[in-house]
Amino acid sequence: MIADVLQIPFSDALVYNEMALDGANLRPYWAPFIDSLQALGSEELKRRWQRAERRILENGVTYNVYTDPQGAKRPWSIDPVPLLITPEEWRYIEAGTIQRARLLSMLLEDIYGPRRLIDNGDLPAALLFANPAFLRPLSGIPVPKHAALHLLAVDLARSPDGQWWVLADRTQAPSGAGYALENRILVSDVLPEIFAHSNVLRLASFFRSQREALMSLARSDHPQVVLLTPGPHNETYFEHSYLARYLGFTLVEGADLTVRDRRVFLKTVEGLRPVDVILRRVDDSFCDPLELRGESFLGVAGLVDSIAAGNVAVANSLGSGVIETAAIMPFLPGLSVKLLAEPLKLPSVATWWCGQETALKWVLDHLSGVVVKPAFPRRGMEPIFGAALAKTEQQNVAGKLRARPWEYVAQEQVALSTAPVWDRGQLYSRSLVLRTYVLNTGSGWVTLPGGLVRVAGAEGPVVSMQRGGHSKDAWVLWDGPISTFSMLRPRTQPVELRRGGTDLPSRAADNLFWLGRYAERAQCIARLLRCLISRVRQANRSELACLLRLHQCLSSEHSEDSKSTLPEDRPVTNADLEHELVSLLTDPERRDSLVDTLSELQRVGGKVRERLSTDFSRLIGELAESARTEQYMTFAEYTAVLDGCLELLSAFAGMERENITRGAGWLFMSLGRRLERAMYSVSELRQITAPLGPDDWPLLDYLLEVADSSMTYRSRYFTTLQPVAVLDVLMADGANPRSLDFQLSHLVDIYQKLPRHSPEDLSAIQRALESVRMVDLQTIEFPLPGAKEPPAGSEQRLRLDRVLESIENLLPSWGDNISNTYFAHARTLPIRIGG
Amino acid sequence: MTYRIQHLTVYKYKHPVSFGNHEVCLTPRPGQYRHCLSHELTITPPPASESERTDYFGNRIRLFTIQEPHQELKVDARSTVTIEHEEVVWPTASPPWEEVASSMPRDLNPEVVEAYQFAFDSPRVRTSREFAAYASSSFPPSRPLTEALLDLTARIYKDFRFDSKATNVRTPPEEVLRKRRGVCQDFAHLQIACLRSLQLPARYISGYLRTYPPPGRPRLVGADASHAWVSVYCPGAGWLDVDPTNNVVPSRSHVTLAWGRDYGDVSPVRGVILGGKDHTVEVAVDLEPVE
Repeated sequence: MIADVLQIPFSDALVYNEMALDGANLRPYWAPFIDSLQALGSEELKRRWQRAERRILENGVTYNVYTDPQGAKRPWSIDPVPLLITPEEWRYIEAGTIQRARLLSMLLEDIYGPRRLIDNGDLPAALLFANPAFLRPLSGIPVPKHAALHLLAVDLARSPDGQWWVLADRTQAPSGAGYALENRILVSDVLPEIFAHSNVLRLASFFRSQREALMSLARSDHPQVVLLTPGPHNETYFEHSYLARYLGFTLVEGADLTVRDRRVFLKTVEGLRPVDVILRRVDDSFCDPLELRGESFLGVAGLVDSIAAGNVAVANSLGSGVIETAAIMPFLPGLSVKLLAEPLKLPSVATWWCGQETALKWVLDHLSGVVVKPAFPRRGMEPIFGAALAKTEQQNVAGKLRARPWEYVAQEQVALSTAPVWDRGQLYSRSLVLRTYVLNTGSGWVTLPGGLVRVAGAEGPVVSMQRGGHSKDAWVLWDGPISTFSMLRPRTQPVELRRGGTDLPSRAADNLFWLGRYAERAQCIARLLRCLISRVRQANRSELACLLRLHQCLSSEHSEDSKSTLPEDRPVTNADLEHELVSLLTDPERRDSLVDTLSELQRVGGKVRERLSTDFSRLIGELAESARTEQYMTFAEYTAVLDGCLELLSAFAGMERENITRGAGWLFMSLGRRLERAMYSVSELRQITAPLGPDDWPLLDYLLEVADSSMTYRSRYFTTLQPVAVLDVLMADGANPRSLDFQLSHLVDIYQKLPRHSPEDLSAIQRALESVRMVDLQTIEFPLPGAKEPPAGSEQRLRLDRVLESIENLLPSWGDNISNTYFAHARTLPIRIGG
Repeated sequence: MTYRIQHLTVYKYKHPVSFGNHEVCLTPRPGQYRHCLSHELTITPPPASESERTDYFGNRIRLFTIQEPHQELKVDARSTVTIEHEEVVWPTASPPWEEVASSMPRDLNPEVVEAYQFAFDSPRVRTSREFAAYASSSFPPSRPLTEALLDLTARIYKDFRFDSKATNVRTPPEEVLRKRRGVCQDFAHLQIACLRSLQLPARYISGYLRTYPPPGRPRLVGADASHAWVSVYCPGAGWLDVDPTNNVVPSRSHVTLAWGRDYGDVSPVRGVILGGKDHTVEVAVDLEPVE
């Protein structure tokens, strides 16, 4: 992960300056770049960079920071000046990291296979036995050779003499390659001329190789590859959804998968689909709650057994975290000679594993010159900087080392090199670490040319994204021809590369369904509230009674957790209703409030962001903000808030209609929207039929306004308000997109298109539609204002009310049936029993 | 000595379970003087898929899935096991315990390397100074390992009270040490924690113990229980079993089922289910001597 911490003494004179030879003169390979940047001018760069920063926000490029409650969704931080790397230097780094990957891959194979290195004493047994990342259930289970260490990340630092050193290896589920790609797109977009002239090695072919490597791990001809993510709360979730989209794989969470007959399946709305390859971003010990016993359910029970059966490949293989420990570093030079018959090309930073007596003794003697770290990942232990320890603290640390020496490593502190960081027109010098990536294609190893550069924040030389560090692009300035293949350009794309990734996981369908429901629910609530708020102050007694009936539509069945603030022991006053309306608009604690509905919208939207366009995601963010009101707002201003919110909701609906491919995902979203609107529609109509008293006629006007149908009505009936005519417009008119008929007939249409739809549920909704159409509105009469006798035809009105009532009862359970049919199996949380 | 063993586990769920992934560790492990003559596992409802593997520690494990809705899961394991030897013979002399602890990291003898891994922390047993302190009076400098081990076993037997209400299947050994109460699993974990805190390799044995009815009473079928005890590696002598719950050296009355680092490695029946909500579990073990 990116969260590690590297600290060095911060003194410019003692560190290697990437850009300048002696602190003043540019290194020759930096000169053209800096010249071009100067030619561009500070103002122009500022202008262009603002555009890039907007893009970061709009694309939702984020890095979640755990410790900061506001930190989830923190915008990705990057600057436009790349780290430049010469061809010679890159050849050196590439050869060194590939050699390292080959070596580590052989270690992994041996550790989970014959374990000769332990038997021969080449690797101390304690390195395995004390290491929680050694996953015993995987021992002896063969995996495809190029799955084990599919991707390796190597963190490099440059010491003052110009030598690159390996600080750390990431062998589990290395993060950051997706951010590197996004950095490249951002920077090359801001500096297109400079990028074009600099002959920079491109990144796209690396990802194509990764795609092909993963596909080749499958046994079937049309492999299903999924990217397994811990979910939106993970620090690098943005990258998971970004890479899934870029590589064309389905993004899944553990709950989307199931193991049957020793095979992994993806739960989709069309049923179970076999999964051949899993690119995992979940820590391996969490991947199988049955056999690996992690305390979480981020994985899928039975995964280990399906790997053992050879039915699924996981990259990187489960258990690959065992070689991530720095304790292995002191042994690499010897192992390289022994296994590869060549010396180690790229040195590791000096490391001592205290589990060896001589190393322990050396560390105890030189404690003030090293950093002590846990040898194996352990929560709650921060690196100990020997130099910063007081005498008594030193003794304390020495005691710990002696008691359980195998649990610690000591490392030399590397004085990190510095590179220029551009910030609002100024260049600053900052410490950096370069994370490089090596991929096992099965027929060889390839590197990502460049990588992810992380730089320390202004406050000091700590390089950590979790602690507010920044990132940079890295340009390998090449001296040969360059392939300009791009994954983003479909016409150069062989068609078969786009296979897979089309299945709709049930969980995603569930979220899209609710995205549609919440969007529509928000709209219905906002429309009702706007109508009520604009009238509540001036309403006379009979109007207030009408408004209260309208208010009932806000707390109907689909918002059963309503916490109404209206008094029950005395007649409701205008002020009471006003208070209640503000609460319905702004109280985040009320499930039926607008603000809560919008934050639910944002919540489910965040779970399917890889399926939504960036515009869509941005709009959802704006919506969630739109209903947050300030404390001292005047009552009149609430209407403006609702106007703004309704505008955004219309934009949302427009985008939903115009910008989403009519796939299964869209069907579920529309179904959610129609279902929700039908529910509100019925409950509003029942205000007319159950029963409308002579004093209640203003309600007709309100209902037309809420349903946005006042114009339609007036164009047909001028200004005479007639209940029957209103019913015709709001219920029976199939051409009015807000009528009940319209909702029901669309529900029938959409539902029929769903895979595996049930005949019973289809006929239930068809019957509901027919029952509405059977109603003969002409036979219904309402008492005129002032009339005393109940008019003839009230029996028909009663019958209509019963029709509406049965639809009102049907809709929620019909929605539940959809959930049960399509989503329930992805929703049930697993439970562990025994052990 | 031959036993007919029945180990019946019944899970009852309040709500239907739609899907279950299970792993069981119920096949008696053979040894030098111990043979498993027959073993049969019956699962109801019948599993949709099944597989069998040898786990990392050499135990036979069975994995199965149940893919039909069910409210009851029955796992019925029946085995016949013969134990040949009459008496467990412990070495008359053994090396000082510190020598065992300090020599193991350097010893490349495969048997020693294999044993060495049981000297480290495991998911349910973490070493600490408290455990070392409790063990220390049994482990004065240079005391032969076997002597110290028997002394520690006797002390746990004496200091701790058998109390099936005091702990549950997930109680950590630290709590057992504080409460001074528990069941066989707790005492085994506790003793393992003590031994590993002195860097001695110790493993957890899951198995059965023959019980004797009170004089004059018939043997009650199903009244026996799963049992757990401890095994310690002594270079030259191999693995030596001790039973801290009964302060005995296990012999013909103990039948080994499986071993691992702690209970988590060898829990007899476990699973991950969908649905079910609340559940109850009943275990009935019957150890019937047939000759």
